[in-house]
Amino acid sequence: MNTGAHVLVVEDERNVGETLAERLQGAGYRVTLAPSAARARLAWRAQAPQLTLLDVGLPDGNGFELAGELRAAVPQSAIIFLTAHGNPEERVRGLELGADDYLTKPFHFRELLLRIHNCLKRAQELVELPGEMRGVVRIGRARVDFERFSAEVAGVSHALTHKECAVLRLLASRAGKAVSRDEILDKAWSADEFPTSRTVDNFIVRLRKLVEPDADEPRVIRSIRGVGYLLTEVIRE
Amino acid sequence: MNVKAGQGSMSVMPVRRARLIAALAALWIVLVLSLGAWWVTLVIRQARQIGELQSLAGSADSAVAAQWASTRRMVVGESSLFLMLLLAVTAVLAWLYWRESRRARGMQAFFAAVTHELRTPLTSIRLQAEAIAEGDQRVELARRLLEDSSRLESQIDKTLELARIEGGGPLAEQSVPLHSWLKRTLTPIGAAHGERLELRLQLDESLPPILADAAAVQMILRNLVENSVRHAQLERVQVSVAARARGEQVVIEYHDDGAGSAVEGPQLGRLFGRGAGSGGSGVGLYLVRALMQRMGGRAEFHSSPGNGFRAELYFAASRESAAP
Repeated sequence: MNTGAHVLVVEDERNVGETLAERLQGAGYRVTLAPSAARARLAWRAQAPQLTLLDVGLPDGNGFELAGELRAAVPQSAIIFLTAHGNPEERVRGLELGADDYLTKPFHFRELLLRIHNCLKRAQELVELPGEMRGVVRIGRARVDFERFSAEVAGVSHALTHKECAVLRLLASRAGKAVSRDEILDKAWSADEFPTSRTVDNFIVRLRKLVEPDADEPRVIRSIRGVGYLLTEVIRE
Repeated sequence: MNVKAGQGSMSVMPVRRARLIAALAALWIVLVLSLGAWWVTLVIRQARQIGELQSLAGSADSAVAAQWASTRRMVVGESSLFLMLLLAVTAVLAWLYWRESRRARGMQAFFAAVTHELRTPLTSIRLQAEAIAEGDQRVELARRLLEDSSRLESQIDKTLELARIEGGGPLAEQSVPLHSWLKRTLTPIGAAHGERLELRLQLDESLPPILADAAAVQMILRNLVENSVRHAQLERVQVSVAARARGEQVVIEYHDDGAGSAVEGPQLGRLFGRGAGSGGSGVGLYLVRALMQRMGGRAEFHSSPGNGFRAELYFAASRESAAP
């Protein structure tokens, strides 16, 4: 399914970038190598990548900020951060900014291939929408377009990360029924990631800020004690 | 050379901890002042009572008044001195604490940066080694392996040199024949960077020898060149090195045609000051400056966006004949 997928490698360390690009090409991917944030912007404007490998430290910018730009410009692109900074705060920050995965240097190439495969698979699943999720649906105060990975609130458009989309879509597909945290973890995260129930709660907090009229008193995404969460209703527009 | 001001102390002290320390310091000062005021009041009151008792015992009023005035002067003078000393000691302790905290944060940032600097070439080495293990026999992979292992070696050298310099380690200064020595030293440093560096030397034939530690000068030049290659944001950076005599000194002028930086000269070379997003451990230019000072000379750095990076190294000319 992933053969020939377009991967953008944003890496300023020449040896790492070139070797990575060559090895990914050898594994059957189409690769564009960008050694700076400016070159990365040009690259994704020229051809939208299906997946971006993003280094955090770049000579002309920060990978975290670039991830936000990429998420807004090419919402369907999966993002994996590659960084030598392995501390938990940075990892959480990367994932909250919309990265689909986070790999600390040095890594095994086979592990990277597995992560790329899983990310592309999840991105593909997100693109393949069932009929009732196509077009714009209203969830609480947000007009959500799953195809464009965006949510419009009071006329302002917000880019949704892949994980946010996956969680919201799962809840929307089961509107009116409780969905357990374990099921959310099972559907939105892959086996090679190590999220906790708390991770799900963090995503719900962020989704509530989008869809709830008052996030402190949630009525659209309700907590079901001891089970998980329930989305009250989805209205097709 | 994209140095972010103030990035030397990368991590910020947690706000809660800083507030607690400020509250404790304020409490300490209030306590000291209150105790001092209480002590002064107590002593003055007792002195007054003694004066009253002396009056009752029949001492002349003028003698009692003079003794009272003398006692008060002594009490006020001594207590003021004592309080000032106490406050001064408190201020010194607070300053020492602040300095050590800043240094500790700097060290923490340094180790994080060094870890980053070691992980990056390790990633590259692992990727290439895996490719070779899977049958890729390209010479290019061997070249990259050599480059990455040199980078690891350089980072380790810099870390050890920093520890040595900070620990007050000695330098072996001698008379160095600059003209021939610079050529011999810069050639392998330039070759290590291959196509990424174009090195131009302009050396005056009649240069006097300099008084320096040859190994330290070698590290200085290597750090400058590595800095240029890393921060120039060019596929191929052009570096020119010129040397000329100026009175009792010899100046090595170093210049690259890289992207330059908006950071002012004195900020360049600050310990643990690192490039924004461009990596580095914040040690290279600091070592250049520290080693030059240890050899009795000085280093000046200049940079501006679009005008590259420039360094001037001032050495003392040696009066002795050069070591062979």
